[in-house]
Amino acid sequence: MSPLGVALATLLSHYRRHPGQLAMLLLGLWVAGALWSGVQAINASARDSYARAEALFDADLDRLTPGDGRPLDRRDFVTLRRAGLPVSPILEGEVTTASGERLTLIGIDPLTLPGDSAFASPGADGGLEAFLAPPWRTRLAPETLAALGQARRAAPGATPALAGGQRLPPLAPTPALPPNTLVMDIAAAARLLERGDGLSRLVVPADTLATAPPGYRLVRAEQRLAPGELTASFHLSLTAMALLALIVGLFIVQAALGLALEQRLGLLRTLRALGVPGRTLVGLLAGELVLLGLAGALAGIASGVGLASALLPDVAATLSSLYGAEVGRTLRLPWHYWLGGLGVVLGGLLLAGSGVLWRAARLPVLGLGQAQAWRAGFQRQLRRQALGGAASALAALGLWAWLAVRPPGEGLLAAFGLVAALLLAGALWLPPLLAAALDGLGRRMHRRPLLQWALADLQLQLPRLALAMMALLIALSANLGVGSMVGGFRLTFLDWLDQRLVADLYLRPPPARLDEIDAWLAERPEVAERLATAGGETTLLAIGDAETPRQSVALFGITPGDAVRPGWPLKATLAGREAAWRELAGGAAFVNEQLAIARGIAPGDRLTLAAPGGDERLLVVAVYPDYGNPRGEVLLATPQLRRRFQAPPGSLGIVLADGAAAKPLAAALRSRFALDATALRDQRQVKRLATGIFERTFAITRALNALTLAVAALALLATLLAQARERRRRLAPLWALGVPRGRLVRVQLAQLGAAALATGLLALPLGLAVSACLVDTINVAAFGWRLPLHVFPGEMLLTLATALGAALLAAALPSLTLWRTPPRALLAEEAP
Amino acid sequence: MRGRALAVTWLVAGWLVTGLLVGCERDPAGEPRAGFAGLGTDAGGFTPVAPEAALRFPEDHGPHPGTRLEWWYLTANLRDAEGAPLGIQWTLFRRALRPPTAPAAGAWAADQLWMAHVAVSRGADHRVAERFARGAGQGGADEARQAGVIADPFRAWLDDWRLESRVEAGTGDALDRLEVSAEAGRGEAAFGYRLTLDAQGPLVLHGKPAFGEAAAGAGGPIYLSQPFYRVTGTVTLGGERLSVSGRAWLDREWGNQLMAPWHHGWDWFSLHLAGGRKLMVYRLRGEAATDTTLFGSWIAADGETRALDGEALSLTPLATRSVAGRELPLRWRLTLPEQGLDLEVSARHPNRWMSTSVPYWEGAVTVRDRDDGAARGEGYLEMTGY
Repeated sequence: MSPLGVALATLLSHYRRHPGQLAMLLLGLWVAGALWSGVQAINASARDSYARAEALFDADLDRLTPGDGRPLDRRDFVTLRRAGLPVSPILEGEVTTASGERLTLIGIDPLTLPGDSAFASPGADGGLEAFLAPPWRTRLAPETLAALGQARRAAPGATPALAGGQRLPPLAPTPALPPNTLVMDIAAAARLLERGDGLSRLVVPADTLATAPPGYRLVRAEQRLAPGELTASFHLSLTAMALLALIVGLFIVQAALGLALEQRLGLLRTLRALGVPGRTLVGLLAGELVLLGLAGALAGIASGVGLASALLPDVAATLSSLYGAEVGRTLRLPWHYWLGGLGVVLGGLLLAGSGVLWRAARLPVLGLGQAQAWRAGFQRQLRRQALGGAASALAALGLWAWLAVRPPGEGLLAAFGLVAALLLAGALWLPPLLAAALDGLGRRMHRRPLLQWALADLQLQLPRLALAMMALLIALSANLGVGSMVGGFRLTFLDWLDQRLVADLYLRPPPARLDEIDAWLAERPEVAERLATAGGETTLLAIGDAETPRQSVALFGITPGDAVRPGWPLKATLAGREAAWRELAGGAAFVNEQLAIARGIAPGDRLTLAAPGGDERLLVVAVYPDYGNPRGEVLLATPQLRRRFQAPPGSLGIVLADGAAAKPLAAALRSRFALDATALRDQRQVKRLATGIFERTFAITRALNALTLAVAALALLATLLAQARERRRRLAPLWALGVPRGRLVRVQLAQLGAAALATGLLALPLGLAVSACLVDTINVAAFGWRLPLHVFPGEMLLTLATALGAALLAAALPSLTLWRTPPRALLAEEAP
Repeated sequence: MRGRALAVTWLVAGWLVTGLLVGCERDPAGEPRAGFAGLGTDAGGFTPVAPEAALRFPEDHGPHPGTRLEWWYLTANLRDAEGAPLGIQWTLFRRALRPPTAPAAGAWAADQLWMAHVAVSRGADHRVAERFARGAGQGGADEARQAGVIADPFRAWLDDWRLESRVEAGTGDALDRLEVSAEAGRGEAAFGYRLTLDAQGPLVLHGKPAFGEAAAGAGGPIYLSQPFYRVTGTVTLGGERLSVSGRAWLDREWGNQLMAPWHHGWDWFSLHLAGGRKLMVYRLRGEAATDTTLFGSWIAADGETRALDGEALSLTPLATRSVAGRELPLRWRLTLPEQGLDLEVSARHPNRWMSTSVPYWEGAVTVRDRDDGAARGEGYLEMTGY
């Protein structure tokens, strides 16, 4: 073996003697790599889905909509084509599979659809002719097959049945299509959706038309938001959390590496004395780092994929409920994902290890490892950390000041920067604060030598514990902050649901039968009030007198009756609640918070909206919260909406008279009007659905948070385990002086518990600050709504308990070992 | 039988839409030959074409949805006010996806496909546009469709590309006076035309080559022409509006099998000769000389037509040029001994490649006497399967 090989083997032999350290190192790398690459895998898959959605037919095409809001049909298409306009029809709807999943169905006319589209993917059997002619073809992404209960290999040509009993045209898997989307010829789609010659929209190649033809409106492709833009903030949040996990994981690594170096100082000195040059030694240590890094990172990335697969359904549910964006539920990873994951983990490792290498390079060959000497170095380090913390705090202050003057809903990146700066300031200030506290306490404990010793000893441990404690602090603060945000959101959301869902039954009858059912209900004595809704689409043309970039907004109509008015939450009004409701009934409008924030609309503004009979100008009299809605919405009284925008009727809420039961009425409605299960829902069912969506929405947030906290606890455990042997050496003299083992164990637990408690206490204000940032800035920018800041004492207690629990748990194992150590072994310990 | 049918195989058009331009000549190895663009395939299930004797007008100016293929094909040799030559093309193809049965299921359902080509060429400038539409052989008011043909009053259209009769009811054949208009492209690249066509002679019925259904004595495609149009109107090209006049030739053809499976392309000539006489020459090319079918029509100024076969005609390529990556014969020798004609037919400009879903060459030609080089006429040449 070459001298170099011998030196490397000698260095690595340390891990044979201390397999726990190796395990910790690999564990840290593994956990950091898994969390980071798992989240990146989720992001990459989602991005792939967006890219496919954006490449779909009409994403970069302009759209024509009727100026008067009437529905489009084939006559519009033919008339415009015969006038020479290159329009193409799109019919879009939803179908329910036999297993109850909803899929988007898009009918196209490939003969007029402009340009290269996702349709233009090879491999479909029979080409255009099979697509166009009965029995037609259903094109779909391979991952959509599961929703139809089809195995991949048997799928081509299969004709699965839908919930309604109709059969889909033979399947033709097409990887370029976005998930949960079926594409077929418009004739086949019209048949499945029973839409006759109705159309959803007409598309034209981008910028073909200078102006809209008379009677139509032109919506330019760039005016519409792509799903990728809408969801960017969500993915940024995920990335931020993954980064947090990576950093916490690297703390473990740093701690383990530092320890491994320290314990090998003697070995290093021996190697230097035997003639191994210092530079070679550093190179060997770097090589060791790379070896460990590769092993840990590869394992991490592999498990990251598993983690991502487990989390992806929740993420998909979140994105679908928050933004209406469809993301596939199976992973699709580009090659650069693998390289990127490896690069980030290795880069992080080298960053974490650079301190160790630096120390190894400046190692004095003689006179090593005096604890007091380390302590002197640590004092310098504490000063530097205090200064760094101050700089971070200043940066946070600056970012906060900058964000405060920005209009709401902007500065997502700066807000994340603010959170990062806050966490960093807290983490950097933690060791100086702990050291100062120990110093102060130690001075007062002259009369209690054991306690004084414990404080002094903790000060000596601090250099090693500091990093783990910092990791714990960050994880605790983030956990508290995110937990408070989610908890606050949950409270607000449930409250809001209660206020919005005032009817006892919700009826969505076929439009043709609505009047008949409504008349029947009007005569029932048990019905106290009928709350008709309506929905529509329009384009926002101007705010006040200023033309704005055109934006499509949803229209929603409610019946402002006695049941709705008292509870419906309003965030701002022009002249009080009562006046707002009066004006709504008289033709004024409310806008949702998302629209108000995005476009700077306040009560008193006048909006100009596109309407069938020419543009409608509406006075905004109130802003209302609208959680969970990705879109801007304008609220009108239902009769106003139906008359002025010719909007089709929506669902009908039925408020029961006092004492009336919902079940008999529901049964009567079902039997009399032959309504199916989805046409009539009771309030509890709707609430359950909404709450279910909410819980899934934040499942991913909670999961990532819990994982981060687990990593931090692991970091602490790793640090303590790593120094267990050395601790024993320190405790042995005390035992020799007559302190019983049980007491020593208690002292040890108290030392760590106190340190953890201090960390937890510092995490409380830090967590609240993080929560305030999330609620006040990040949520507004990411989702478009602002929540009240809730403080949960229970959550804070839980944070303290978690800190204490994690520390005690981590200390338990070394303590147990100490407890079981035979006195003979303690006697045999050398003095430090 | 110019199976100009290019279009025709919208199977191929399908490949266009699917972004895979499958040149028809690039038949996958091992596949049985099916002629150019699948035009030689067997046509089972379609209505046999009625014999010539059963032709009735104006009904037969309209579509025959029971047959597989059909077209309305117009080419014109024009000159602007300065006498500079230019050419235009307007074509509407119909192809049945399957024999029409009961009324189609739903308003969008398609059993017919329509394809239209429009071209304007002058000098090196050659503008081409192509559009598609779905159709149904039965059911549905034709006027409410994106594309179609109505026999009476005669109208053929796809989008705003129109060919319409301007004959007053009961005063002659519907095709005697037509208006054709089309526009395509945008801004500087916009091109189009609006032309009036006046027929100076009668409709002409061509003979049939001996293969397929025709050889078996069972129907075979019907091929009619109106070669006697005088044209006036305006052409838009390169940002200019030009007053033009000249001659045009309209082809009508429908049938189920337009070429034999062994044919892989054709060369087709429609020539306006001096003295109002017209000459149509059509060569279906096979792999070997014996597989090649040559036939044509000699049309006197009064419309009297004499069918020509390979004995009466000879057609020889004289020189080829590379166009769009293919070697195309752009200079030909054409002899018709019984009329004492020995002609050299050459393309006005090589750049007349139609980069449509099924690509082909279609452009104006000049006709000269081989002996003295004197101008004898002009016309159009179409070449496919190269």
